[in-house]
Amino acid sequence: MNKKRAVILNTVVIFSFFLVSLRLVDLMVVNHKRFYDSAQKQYIKVEDIQVRRGIIVDRRGRELALNLDLDSIYADPKHLDREGNDVKRLASAIAREPKAVLAKIPDKGRFIWVERKLDPETAEKIRALKIEGLGFLPEAKRFYPKADLASHILGFVGIDNQALEGIELKFDKYLKTSGGKVTVERDAGGRTLSPGVNTEVKGNNIVLTIDEALQRIVEKELDKAMAHWKAAAASVIMMDPLTGEILALANRPAYDPNRGGSAAASAKRDRAITDLYEPGSTFKIVIGVASLEEKILRPNTLFDVSRGSIEVGGKNIRDAHKHGVLTFKEVIQKSSNVGSIMIGMKLGKDRVYKYAKLLGIGEKTGIDLPGEVTGWIPRPERWSSTSVGAIPIGQEVAVTPLQMLRAYSAIANGGSLVSPHVVSEIISPRGEVVASFKNKDMNRIISAKTAETFKDILKSVVEEGGTGTSASVDGNAVAGKTGTAQIIDPRTKRYSKEKYVSSFVGFVPADSPRIAMIVVVYEPKGQIYGGAVAAPVFRDIAGQALSYLNIPREDSLREEPYLVLK
Amino acid sequence: MKRKHRVLSSIFRFFLVVFLIAGVFGLVYLRSNYLKLEYCLGDLEKKRISALRERKMLIAEKTSLLSFAKLETPQAGADGFVLPDRIKVIHIDKQKKYMPYKASLERRQLSEP
Repeated sequence: MNKKRAVILNTVVIFSFFLVSLRLVDLMVVNHKRFYDSAQKQYIKVEDIQVRRGIIVDRRGRELALNLDLDSIYADPKHLDREGNDVKRLASAIAREPKAVLAKIPDKGRFIWVERKLDPETAEKIRALKIEGLGFLPEAKRFYPKADLASHILGFVGIDNQALEGIELKFDKYLKTSGGKVTVERDAGGRTLSPGVNTEVKGNNIVLTIDEALQRIVEKELDKAMAHWKAAAASVIMMDPLTGEILALANRPAYDPNRGGSAAASAKRDRAITDLYEPGSTFKIVIGVASLEEKILRPNTLFDVSRGSIEVGGKNIRDAHKHGVLTFKEVIQKSSNVGSIMIGMKLGKDRVYKYAKLLGIGEKTGIDLPGEVTGWIPRPERWSSTSVGAIPIGQEVAVTPLQMLRAYSAIANGGSLVSPHVVSEIISPRGEVVASFKNKDMNRIISAKTAETFKDILKSVVEEGGTGTSASVDGNAVAGKTGTAQIIDPRTKRYSKEKYVSSFVGFVPADSPRIAMIVVVYEPKGQIYGGAVAAPVFRDIAGQALSYLNIPREDSLREEPYLVLK
Repeated sequence: MKRKHRVLSSIFRFFLVVFLIAGVFGLVYLRSNYLKLEYCLGDLEKKRISALRERKMLIAEKTSLLSFAKLETPQAGADGFVLPDRIKVIHIDKQKKYMPYKASLERRQLSEP
């Protein structure tokens, strides 16, 4: 009996083992792949490595563009209760109409964005609702902490952090980086284990030549000028004339890059490099430099402009104020159109064109910002009968404010054309210098003697008797030139009698220049002359900038050897 | 001699079984502790990410508050952005860098504001 029982028991045990073995073969051999894949799906989660754009800082390391990690919410339509109260509660939390939220969520599919990059408070509020079928994913949001400051330099990015304007666009390949994937293990409860690798990668950082304080001074004064002159637009560029480093660049109207997508197109235009205008009298630098370099004139060469007008190609061109006999220096100082046309005629169209080109007029400056335009000056063979009376006084040519500033910087630095730039260095996340733009090429275009002589002439413009006295800065000599130009009315195709562009371009301290600056005010109301509209803006900005940069007054103390008493 | 050998063999077998069982339980214990540490690391990782996130927010807030535009507002009062008085800025000749210098505002011949 016992033996029989033992046989049965043995058979049952062996059969059971056989069944278990069969099941094991099924699990480990026959259906191995299916179960393996299923298990992998359960405990292995593949996540995107978070990609962060590099940050942008000013020349002193002050942050101008940063990244924030914000939550975006998505819906899983399969699990979201569209009919119940959930959508209403969600809509109320994000301050939207339930219909608008529902319109975003289709019936089918497993993933749809509901709201991107929410502020932390709203995200927390929605998380507390514990709505089934809603999920949260962290996303990087570009943040510009100084709001509209330097907006035309920085540019902005879109909702997916794609570069759209400014430095963000021009240096996108340096700022962005590729991410990849990381696998994270998790248990049945959804708890994740440490991935053991970095789940975030960063792009290169960019150091600008801009100084936030100078930029602020420029923008503040620009706002005042816009309000005072009820102008349509305005631009200011401040540059180091020795290196071409842009210290500040601002346009009005401006925009907040944090809401770049919704800003008006006119506010997003970087007028300093993308808008052309007729420079008016600031263009007289071309005939001035050409006549000195070609040794056609000396500063004391006389011109009889007492008639107050000159006829060129059947067109009568007048001076704003009548003068008698003027020296060449006084022609520039008083901005006599008649005298300038006489100089232009003496030079001839080929030389005027040659020096305009040498000074970079009608040429891109090569600034490292997107959208720069070329400008325009007609070739000598295309000059009309009136051109010789128009071009020397800055009509029939189109320039950008930056081109004019670069031309005047050549006078400031002793005769070389600089390469304007806004990026100083590109630094890797580890702190290594990826690229440096500190020592850009300079190209000598005129002799140091010509530059020095013309600098003296430009200084006289800001002295008593000149058109730019309002640009004079207390304590330091300024060299510069005023410009007033009519704007062509697109309806009549003729010069408007109400719309002008007023400008002032110069540098300070005149004898050892630290800043070169151009101020352009479009369509000021009440006054039109560059000396009245733009020159005071130059003065106000330059005065504060010199203080900020700790540039001594010309009459300030000089150091003395220390006396050691014995 | 034979009996002694048998006793030793039994003891050895007993300890072998105990050792095997202890080994298995030890392995399970080690594995569970390892997993516990992994979870702990995972939680710390989450905390780190959260702290970094908060740090980014605070840096952004600080940067925004320290902007020159905000420093100039009336609320900033007298401690706001003040430009240096250029009357008190003096020339220093960098060439003579090994010499001590003095500069005296008393000797200035200016009418200071």
